[in-house]
Amino acid sequence: MLRAVGLTKRYGDVRALDGFTLVVEPGEVAGLVGHNGAGKTTFVEIVCGLVRADAGTVTIGGRAPRSARGDLGVAPQHIALYPGATAREHLVLYGRLAGLRRAALAAAMDEVVEAMLLTDLLDRRAGLLSGGQQRRIQAAIALLHRPGLLLLDEPTAGADPQTRQSLLAAVRRRAADGAAVVYTTHYLPELAELGATLAVAQGGRIIARGTSEELLSGLTDEVRVHIDDKELRMRTNDAAKTLVDLLSGPHGSVHSIDIRKASIDDLYRSLA
Amino acid sequence: MIAESLYRVLALARINWTLRLRDPGQFISYLLMPMILMLVLKPIYNRAFSGGTMQVVTGMLVIFSTLALAIVGTATLTERTWHTWDRLRSTRVTTAELLVGKALPIFVVLLTQQTILLAYGTLVIGVRPAGSLWLVALAVSAWGATLLAIGTAIAATVRSHGELSAICDIGALTLTTLGGAFVPVGMFPGWLQAVAPVSPGYWALSMLQAALRGNVPGTLLPATVLLTIGAAAGTYAIWRLSRGLGRTTTL
Repeated sequence: MLRAVGLTKRYGDVRALDGFTLVVEPGEVAGLVGHNGAGKTTFVEIVCGLVRADAGTVTIGGRAPRSARGDLGVAPQHIALYPGATAREHLVLYGRLAGLRRAALAAAMDEVVEAMLLTDLLDRRAGLLSGGQQRRIQAAIALLHRPGLLLLDEPTAGADPQTRQSLLAAVRRRAADGAAVVYTTHYLPELAELGATLAVAQGGRIIARGTSEELLSGLTDEVRVHIDDKELRMRTNDAAKTLVDLLSGPHGSVHSIDIRKASIDDLYRSLA
Repeated sequence: MIAESLYRVLALARINWTLRLRDPGQFISYLLMPMILMLVLKPIYNRAFSGGTMQVVTGMLVIFSTLALAIVGTATLTERTWHTWDRLRSTRVTTAELLVGKALPIFVVLLTQQTILLAYGTLVIGVRPAGSLWLVALAVSAWGATLLAIGTAIAATVRSHGELSAICDIGALTLTTLGGAFVPVGMFPGWLQAVAPVSPGYWALSMLQAALRGNVPGTLLPATVLLTIGAAAGTYAIWRLSRGLGRTTTL
């Protein structure tokens, strides 16, 4: 669905993208992670057709970004709402811009309003809502016209757990229906909840790509054991054997044992 | 294709109109201030020179419609601060549709301001229009379109609301004064009279006074000059805005 190959983009002396390549298939949620300045938002802007890459190609369903925008659902990093307009007015506006009319628009609105828990907020002005509630409106706008490609740029930043859960559930449903999703975030556990494949961005390029199992397979687990008043920490590929070896020898009084499996956070730290 | 485009333009115009109606402060301000000044200045102008009533009505109209550039500029600049311009560009809407959808309600606001001030000038201040309604409508529309283009060009250039406010206030007062909106150009010293046509306010004042007197050629020439200025400003604004207003632009 999304095919971005060898993208480069410079702003003066700053190289925002440097050979950025990412391919996302229909039904796939690709978690795009990376430090601030890794190129994630520049990539999103190029896919949206807002910025032109210096080199490289982007296609969405085989079309150039500018001509494929009707099949794109975007929840940008910044809140991009009219403070003086209500949630309903935003949904009507973006629904109409996507070509939805009367019954189709009403049905689409009903669906996203329910999915994003907006029923009680529909007639309140966006400027009077909390950050999390505004994020819900943005997500609802992105989902409204059932796009083939969803670009969600840190959609849960500052959002409460309820907002996060409703969004993740909606994204999972859309992916199950065949939408390709690019999901950038700093909240890495969200990606595990989404069952996302991972793309780790650094220095304007993707430095690791695959399923979380593939990328985590090379990382070690951590075993922590409290014996007497000391804490032992060991990194290991086989936590059970490590524990057996440790406890079969002479040891003091064991207070606690904690095995921490390698996580996306560890992967991120190991690559960064 | 055209129907779809029109549908999107109307959707944009509708939301922009809603936003205008919910924030009428600037409009009310630029409507009431000239009304008060017309009333206060009319006897002074009539004592100072002939044609004082015409001068005070058209002069105040030109000054405060030019000050309303701030309405145009704010409407465009806030799209940047709210990040909505780039969000809209991420949809299937074209830049041209975006601009038309944005401009339509503001154009109506500018026309409404001028229409109300002319009606007030006629009914309360005592101007006696001799021209046809169509000629006056043409003049008001030409001036409105010019202001719309200039205001959008300014908003596409400035970096903050402070800059916008400063440019609109200083620019409007300087250009309209130079154009003869406060005092007729004929009372200026010779060198200033020679410079006056540089100001769009000069042409706006000439056009409106000619339209109210029923002078067709005297209306059409300034209208052409103003629309040329408007076309240049509009072209520049479209060029700037089509490049976006997001974090990656140099605005």
